[in-house]
Amino acid sequence: MTSTDETGGQDLLGHVLLPVAHEEDALATARALEPYDPERVTALHVVEKGGGVPDKTPVEQSEELAAESYAAVRTVFPDADEHTAYARDIVGAIFDAAEKVDASAVAYRSRGGNRLMQFLSGDISLKLVTNAPLPVVALPRVDDEE
Amino acid sequence: MSDEELAKDLGLVSAMTIGIGTMIGAGIFVLPGVAVNADGGAGPIVVVSFVVGGVIAMVNALSVSELGTAMPKAGGGYYYINKSLGPMFGSIAGMGDWMGLAFASAFYSIGFGQYLAVFVDLPTIPGLNAIQVGALVAGAVFIGVNYVGAKETGGVQTVIVGLLLSILAVFSVAGFFSFDYATLAGNEGGLAPGGYGAILPGTALVFVSFLGYAKIATVAEELKNPGRNLPIAIIGSVGIVTVIYAILVTTMLGVVPWPELSQDAPVAQAARVAFPESIGPVTGVAGGAAAVMTVGALLATASSANASILASARINFAMGRDKIVTNWLNQIHPNYATPYRSILVTGGLIVVFIALLGRDIEILSKAASVLHLIVYALMNVGLIVFREADVPEYDPDFTVPFYPLTPILGAVLSLGLVAFMDGIEIALSGAFVVAAVAWYFVYARNKTDKQGLLSEHIRSRESELPDQVVGAADAVAPNGTGDEGPTIMVAVSNPRTESALITLAGAIAQHEGGRVLATHIVTVPDQTSLETAAENRSGLDQSSEELLAAAAADAEAFDVPIETKTILSHRGIEEVFDAARTNAADTVVMGYGGTRFAGGRVEGSLDELTHDLPCDFLVLDGQRLDLSDVLVPTAGGPSSDLSAEVARALRETVGVDVSLLYVADSGEEESGREFLSGWADGHGLGDATLRIETGDVERTIGRLGEEYDLVIVGATERGLLSRIVRGSLAFETIESLDTPVLLSERPSSRSLRERLFGER
Repeated sequence: MTSTDETGGQDLLGHVLLPVAHEEDALATARALEPYDPERVTALHVVEKGGGVPDKTPVEQSEELAAESYAAVRTVFPDADEHTAYARDIVGAIFDAAEKVDASAVAYRSRGGNRLMQFLSGDISLKLVTNAPLPVVALPRVDDEE
Repeated sequence: MSDEELAKDLGLVSAMTIGIGTMIGAGIFVLPGVAVNADGGAGPIVVVSFVVGGVIAMVNALSVSELGTAMPKAGGGYYYINKSLGPMFGSIAGMGDWMGLAFASAFYSIGFGQYLAVFVDLPTIPGLNAIQVGALVAGAVFIGVNYVGAKETGGVQTVIVGLLLSILAVFSVAGFFSFDYATLAGNEGGLAPGGYGAILPGTALVFVSFLGYAKIATVAEELKNPGRNLPIAIIGSVGIVTVIYAILVTTMLGVVPWPELSQDAPVAQAARVAFPESIGPVTGVAGGAAAVMTVGALLATASSANASILASARINFAMGRDKIVTNWLNQIHPNYATPYRSILVTGGLIVVFIALLGRDIEILSKAASVLHLIVYALMNVGLIVFREADVPEYDPDFTVPFYPLTPILGAVLSLGLVAFMDGIEIALSGAFVVAAVAWYFVYARNKTDKQGLLSEHIRSRESELPDQVVGAADAVAPNGTGDEGPTIMVAVSNPRTESALITLAGAIAQHEGGRVLATHIVTVPDQTSLETAAENRSGLDQSSEELLAAAAADAEAFDVPIETKTILSHRGIEEVFDAARTNAADTVVMGYGGTRFAGGRVEGSLDELTHDLPCDFLVLDGQRLDLSDVLVPTAGGPSSDLSAEVARALRETVGVDVSLLYVADSGEEESGREFLSGWADGHGLGDATLRIETGDVERTIGRLGEEYDLVIVGATERGLLSRIVRGSLAFETIESLDTPVLLSERPSSRSLRERLFGER
């Protein structure tokens, strides 16, 4: 699964880890990344776990969601790999996955929402950029076709 | 977590917390005052009512444990009933569970409102009393919290339950010291002023206090080691809660004389009396204790309502999966990742129930109980069906003691308790049951493709059972499967073999006027963690969509309808069997690689499965088909009948030349030729080329096979497929043959299969 990039990790988009939440998000995120022509892409879906309490959604449903998301990413990057993680701490899981698949950067697209919504659903953007052990690329939000 | 499935993160304590947290809110904090004063005063005897409720819950808990360990699936009671008794009863159970939870949530919200009124002066609105207003606010908050899925609430749940148990422990100690037997028994009428006949009506009223253990089963798929933890958590939480109820209600009634016990906030009142006014220099202890109890009551009712709303979303998901309700309901919110529509619809119901029925808490609690009791009764019947139908997939880790007494008792007790409810709740619940049945016939029957074990069982014994029974089973059977013509299911997994498999399936479907169902089963073996499997999955198959699109394109060559489906599963070859069953397939076409993919798994049930084929199986060893002539070696038998059918289908749709081969012992060529020409005529292949050879059967097939484009070999004995799957079949000659080989196996009791899956 792992391979060292020939560029020795210098190439920022050598192996991009692409966290996606659902089909629509996956498509938008993949399209936002497309113009930058990454060498290799691994789509990541983190199934949010309750960690001691029941999840928000049944596991089966979460896994369907993951499969749909990967399929959406593959419509843009047909060779994209996929990786599913299960965790309560989403940001932690993203970085763990980045290490596991040896990614050169994490590329994500903020899902927007106002401050209150971000606070309630756990502000992932903030944690992602403040705790990053590897480069994190914030993709531009293109709201043209939503 | 390396070796465990990462999706499973609920331990025993968490599971117990779900059960106890849901149950404890109602029994202690809301009902004691209402129950002792019910029907002109039942008195202290209600303690017995609580214990009887606990016993009924326990009998059902045993059944839920068995079903839950057999099928750790989201949906709980609904899922078991749908699977065993079929989608009509499934609709009743799903609707009953769902509405029951909505009623229960409304009840908990009212309880919350009652204690809130102790703290805050709530306004009244025309048509709504103060408690209803409080309940509506509370209900809206619970729904909102679940809508955004703020996970912090979840983490608090364990703390809340721990806190509650400590508060109650302190209360019972304080209560013990101010307990006065005269207070308990010295009122007019003694211990049972309403007579012993008040016990069961009391149980009917307080049974809502025990609706909680079954929720553990709805999250069974998230439990670690469910085989052990599920039964312990379910049975344990019922046991613990029953003991707590008995002790605390007795204590309460020994502190406050029952005629004076508050109907709205009994625990706060009892705490005020039980605790001394001052301890040393600290004054206001009693008032403080009452306040703490009130906070406890708010937490308890909130956690009950919260858990119920979450559980109802699980049931909706399971119903959507079986197409009993539209999957629109189960869409996940793009930002909060919650099943928001389901939560909103359930929330709407809760609000309506609070507003319309909230004045009388008894109606809410009893309606919730009646609906749940109906589900429990059906569940017990379902358990008996599972046991009697003796399906190999049904393999619970926990089995109920004293079968069949326990499930029979569970069903009888559950329905018996319903009889002690009042007319209005029974009528209300009856209306929901009728609505569920109507829903099934109007909507779900045409959508769902699940058939219950019971109707399979009945239909499979058409000849032994009275016509009315079979007729009834037919009358309610789902239409989702009711196509004319057979269903040829193709399990595609590899893009290289996809085309060949679809060609075979298309030819058979066209020949028999049936349809093709192309399935892509993405397997995630149990031993591998889901994470690793997910990684491998990407290497293993191309996108399902691509594969199935290619399948649909290939099928266009034939004039047959094609449907495609992706199935994500933890199981391998078993899922093929399961899919064949649920889709009522008549023939399964799959690649040799597909059977081997799941091979190497040592699993007892596999043998049983493959020895009990749900339908005809065709397994292709080879990747490409370029058909112009086929060879069918035969020695008779049901599986070679299948070979003949395939050959005929290929001849008529693709136009291949068919040759039949019989390998005779030397010197018996003549009788061999006689047999073969008879066999050919009997199978509509009279014009085929007949070849009689002598020598070793395998080697002969291997030698002659080289001359053909396809060799169709029928299984000569049962269990061929089983041996391929386990890799123990020494078919070297055939395996080394360059020509593609199609292995065919037909279940030996053809008539049974026909009645199970074929004609109506």
